[in-house]
Amino acid sequence: MHAETLLDIAMMHSDALILRAKQGDQNAQGKLVQLWYKRIYNFSFKFFQDHDMAMEVSQKTFISMCKNLAGLQDTLRFKSWLYKIAVNYCREEARKTKNNRSLSFDSVWNNEAEDSPRWELSAQRRDNPEKQLEQLELSDILQQALLELNEEQREVVIMKEYEGLKFREIAEVLNISENTVKSRMYYGLDGLRKILEKKNINKDTVGYEL
Amino acid sequence: MNYKPDEKDWMAYLYGEAEGEEKVKIDQYLLENAEARKEFEKFQSLRKIMSSVEDKEVIAPPIIIEGSRQRFLWNTPYLRMIVSIAASLLLIILVGSLTGTRISLNGNEFKLSFGEEQPAKSAPVVIEKQVPAELTAEQVQQMINESLTANNSAIESTWKKSQEKLTASIRENLAVNSAKVDEVLKTASLATQEQISNYVATLQAENMQQVKDYFQLTSAQQKTYIESLLVDFDKYLQQQRNNDLQLVQTRLHSIEENSNVFRQETEQILTSIISSVGPQNTTEKKN
Repeated sequence: MHAETLLDIAMMHSDALILRAKQGDQNAQGKLVQLWYKRIYNFSFKFFQDHDMAMEVSQKTFISMCKNLAGLQDTLRFKSWLYKIAVNYCREEARKTKNNRSLSFDSVWNNEAEDSPRWELSAQRRDNPEKQLEQLELSDILQQALLELNEEQREVVIMKEYEGLKFREIAEVLNISENTVKSRMYYGLDGLRKILEKKNINKDTVGYEL
Repeated sequence: MNYKPDEKDWMAYLYGEAEGEEKVKIDQYLLENAEARKEFEKFQSLRKIMSSVEDKEVIAPPIIIEGSRQRFLWNTPYLRMIVSIAASLLLIILVGSLTGTRISLNGNEFKLSFGEEQPAKSAPVVIEKQVPAELTAEQVQQMINESLTANNSAIESTWKKSQEKLTASIRENLAVNSAKVDEVLKTASLATQEQISNYVATLQAENMQQVKDYFQLTSAQQKTYIESLLVDFDKYLQQQRNNDLQLVQTRLHSIEENSNVFRQETEQILTSIISSVGPQNTTEKKN
C-alpha cells in the first residue's frame, strides 16, 4: 500500500488522537503535527511558492493549534478549523510581504544547484528522464499560474483541487457561503485555463492521455 | 427543457458533489448539449493537467510550546520587572553605604565624595587677577578696528610681495623661453631645401638597403628551413615506407605460413580420406 494512502487513513481516523490532544496530551499533539504538517506545508507552499514562508506559516499554524485545541468544540470540524488557522496566517504573511517587498533569499540563491531536492525526488519516481523533465516543467508552469490568480480564488482552488476539502468545509474555513466558494472556484479554474492557454498548455501539448 | 446549470452547479458536478435530482439534470443537459459537453471536458482536462503538481516532501520540525499555560503571580512579567528594579536600587544603596558615598549639591556645586568628609585644611587661596576696569563698547570696537587694520596691512604687504615675485618670475621665464624659441627658429630657417632633399634621399636609400637586407636574410633562412624540412620529410617517408614494407613482409610471411599449414592439413585430410576409401574400394572390387 502506498505511504500516502496510509497517511490519509491515519488522518481520517484521528478522532481519538484529537480528543487526547485536546485534553493536553503532548504526545498526541506531536502526532497530530506529524500527521498534518505535510498538508499544511503544501497548502502554504502552493499559496506562496516559497519554502521559507510555507515553513513559517506551518509552524505558526501548529503552535496555534496546540495552544487553542482545548477550545475546539466539535472534533469533527478539526480539519476545517486547522485550515482556517493556516489561511489566516497565509493572509497575514501575504499582507506583510505586500508592505515589505523585497527579494527572498530563496529566489536569489540557486538552491537547486546546492542540494537538488527535485532531482532526488524525481529519481525515485519514474525512469524516463524526458517525462520527468516534462513533468517538472509543467509543475512549475502550473504553480506560477496559481500565483497569478487573486488570493481569494487561489486559496479556494488549492483547498479544493490539492487539499481535497469539500465545498462545505471550504465554506466553513473561509466563513462564507458554499455558493460563493463554488463561484470562486469556477472563476479560479476559468482564470487558470486562460493563463495556461496563453502559455499554450493544453491536453495536446502536454501529451497526456486524457 | 429550459434548465441551464450555472457555475455553482458545474463546480458541484465537476467535483462529484452534485447529488440526486441535480446530478440527473446536469447529466441530461450534457447529453443534449454538445457545446456544454465540450466546455465540461475542458474543465476535466484542466483538472488532469493540474494533477501533475505533486506534493513536496517535508519533515515536520519539532514544535516547542510553552509548558504550562497557568501563570502564577510571581511569573508575570510586570512583577518581575518591578522586583528587578527594586533589587537594583537596593544594590546601589548597599554599595553607597559601604563606600560611604556622599552626594551634595550646593548652589552651582555638585560634590561626589567617598568616606568621611575631611575638614578643609586651609582656605583655598584665590588669586584674583587684576581685572582692569570695565571696558566700554567703544573701546572694544576701537581695539577690534585696530587689530583689523594691522592685520589688513600685514596681509596687503605679503600679498604685494608675492605678486611682485610672481610677475618677476613670469617675466624671467618669458625672456628665457622667447630666447630659446628664437634660436630654434633661426636654426630651422638656416636649413635649406637642398639639405632637406639630401636628408630625405639618404633616408630613402637607407630604408631601401634595410629592406633589401631583410629580404635577403629571410629568403636565405627560409631556404635552409625548407630544405631541412624536406630532408626531414624525406626521412619520415622513408621510415614509413620501411615500416610498411616490413608490415607487408610479415603479412606475406604469415599468409605463406598459413597456406603451408593449410596445404599440410588438406594433404593430411586427403591421405586420411584416401586411406579410408582405398581399402574399401579394393574390398568392393574383390567382392
